[in-house]
Amino acid sequence: MGELGVEHFLFLSAALFIIGMMGVLTRRNLLIIFMCVELMINAVNLSLVAFGWELDHLGGQGFAIFTIAVAAAEAAVGLAIILALSRRQKTMDVDEIRSLRD
Amino acid sequence: MPWDVIIFYLIAAVCITSAVGVVVANNPVHAGVFLVICFLNIAATFVMMGAEFLAVVQVIVYTGAILVLVLFVLMLVDPDDLPEFHTARPVQRVVGLLLGAILLLEVGAAILSRTVTGARGDATAQNIAAAGGNTQALGRVLYSDYLLAFEVVSLVLLVGVIGAIVLALPERLGEQISITRRGTISLGHPRGTDAALPAGPAGETPMVDRETPSPTPEPTTAGGRTLIMVTDPDERTTVGTRP
Amino acid sequence: MPADMPLWLNFVVAFVIMNVLLVGMAYMTWFERKVMAAMQDRMGPTRTGPAGLLQPIADGIKLLGKEDLIPAAADKLVFFFAPLIIFVTAIVSVAVIPFGGTVEIFGADVNLFITDLNVGALYVLAFGSIGVYGIILGAYASANRFSLLGGLRAAAQVVSYEIILGLALVGVFMLSGSLSLREIMLTQQTELDLGPLALPNWFILSQPLAFVIYMIAAVAETNRAPFDLPEAETELVSGFHTEYSAFRFSFYFLGEYINMIVISLFAATLFLGGTDGPGSDAYWGLGILWLLLKTVAFLFFYVWLRTTLPRFRYDQLMGIAWKVLLPLVLLNIVVTAFIRLVGNGQVF
Repeated sequence: MGELGVEHFLFLSAALFIIGMMGVLTRRNLLIIFMCVELMINAVNLSLVAFGWELDHLGGQGFAIFTIAVAAAEAAVGLAIILALSRRQKTMDVDEIRSLRD
Repeated sequence: MPWDVIIFYLIAAVCITSAVGVVVANNPVHAGVFLVICFLNIAATFVMMGAEFLAVVQVIVYTGAILVLVLFVLMLVDPDDLPEFHTARPVQRVVGLLLGAILLLEVGAAILSRTVTGARGDATAQNIAAAGGNTQALGRVLYSDYLLAFEVVSLVLLVGVIGAIVLALPERLGEQISITRRGTISLGHPRGTDAALPAGPAGETPMVDRETPSPTPEPTTAGGRTLIMVTDPDERTTVGTRP
Repeated sequence: MPADMPLWLNFVVAFVIMNVLLVGMAYMTWFERKVMAAMQDRMGPTRTGPAGLLQPIADGIKLLGKEDLIPAAADKLVFFFAPLIIFVTAIVSVAVIPFGGTVEIFGADVNLFITDLNVGALYVLAFGSIGVYGIILGAYASANRFSLLGGLRAAAQVVSYEIILGLALVGVFMLSGSLSLREIMLTQQTELDLGPLALPNWFILSQPLAFVIYMIAAVAETNRAPFDLPEAETELVSGFHTEYSAFRFSFYFLGEYINMIVISLFAATLFLGGTDGPGSDAYWGLGILWLLLKTVAFLFFYVWLRTTLPRFRYDQLMGIAWKVLLPLVLLNIVVTAFIRLVGNGQVF
């Protein structure tokens, strides 16, 4: 309870990561799964910054910036895939999108 | 309890509540709004850890660009395509919850039973103030220690941009590009309102109805009025010479 | 250096600045109507008070007295909160705009700004990018196809032009070496070294291309004519706020005008030296006056554009952003960086 320490942020990060993971596991809507993945990425960012803050190191923040940049690229490609899917397959359900498997 | 801890608990509570909202919301737009709230609060925790620049980047890139695009796509796709939450398999949900709870316990135990060890860096409050603030200090680190990573990330972004453009282009790529075409998602011409619009002076508005029947499903009706959504700019338009 | 003020004094400054902003917004509508009327050879508002000066108050009372309609198919909670988002984000952005340095009023040191953030310029951009949620969510919640089209247009337009807006400022950041608006303003209060000519070191002189691009992107960012595609009344009835009425509509209205004022203040601070002007070193009141004059010049430019130019077509709007402005702004960054390196003696 006392001082604000790295544990607080790590707990928050872990909770967010697991909530996002549960979303990925349980939801079937492609867009919601995408949002949950973004949530997980953010949780990881939070822990990176928290470790950097604890150890007086700017590497954590630098790494988080790289993560955000890669997440932006991922979002661009991912959303383009989702749009193409909705055009061709007419569904957003991950269980019905299996033309690669069948 | 010190003030910063109280503020942290407030932020964390909002953050976790909205994260749960993302997962349980039935309406995907509501999930998007919850995610915006969650990301803004994560930015607030960044500020608490002295990472102002990162917080602003988080707001600009995540809430300002990525989530706006997610909402954009949400509104472009047909709502009938979206699966309902409650038809999900119950086994999946139970297993998901169970796995999540176990993982949370494990991580919690790990956090509580260990302390952070490692070489301490030199980014103390005095050093950062001497460099001129968080932004300047971070810039120095990014452009010296992490120069290679920086270049690689810019390459990744370039590849991402090209990939997105290629994916978003319509299928008949060869034909389409050979004829000059305005490759935008048409938000200006809802299908049906101006079906037989003549081409503009330079032939740049090819809004002529296609001869072949459109493969799209019939427009849904709501409240007696026809609701029309264009998911593909090429469904209702043809390109190039008019018949 | 900014003085350490007691917290209550900070609140007083914030209170005064935000109220001035609200009154300024009200009279911005009067100003716009008068200027447009003059340009179109009309009279504009004349009945309410001398020269129609009470018109904004009459408008406000009218808007508050109207019936508040909520469509039956609307997403009620989102419908309620969406207008607040755009209003609040617009008004919060003004917190980092400096209206001068630290002055002494009644024996107390007072900072003429609410806060001096290390990332002030990006802060304004960040709140601008949150503001678009007001438009998108309002459009979605209305359950109206015109609104939805307006919201989609707004989303695509703001995301595209935000990139241009941010990149246009990179040149300024490079020259000033800071993201703090106060530091940027202080950098511009020196003199440009051009031999016999004594010019102020305003960034409009050293970054003319960035300034032009910033102005174009700013008009698009605030959804004003000729980039007012999201509310194009000839095609979309009135776009994203078609279903809004009474005080909910007035929040959109307020938000748009406050956004214009904030973007103009921001432009005046970044490119026109902020409070810099004859006599502003001696009297801080004169500095504020100069800043407001520059802001009014930008606002006049907005109105001028609205009366002069027809609306762009949607594909033209996107084409300009990605095919013209983006290459130009990248070129500006490269050239600025090169000149900066030469100036530092790191090349040649």
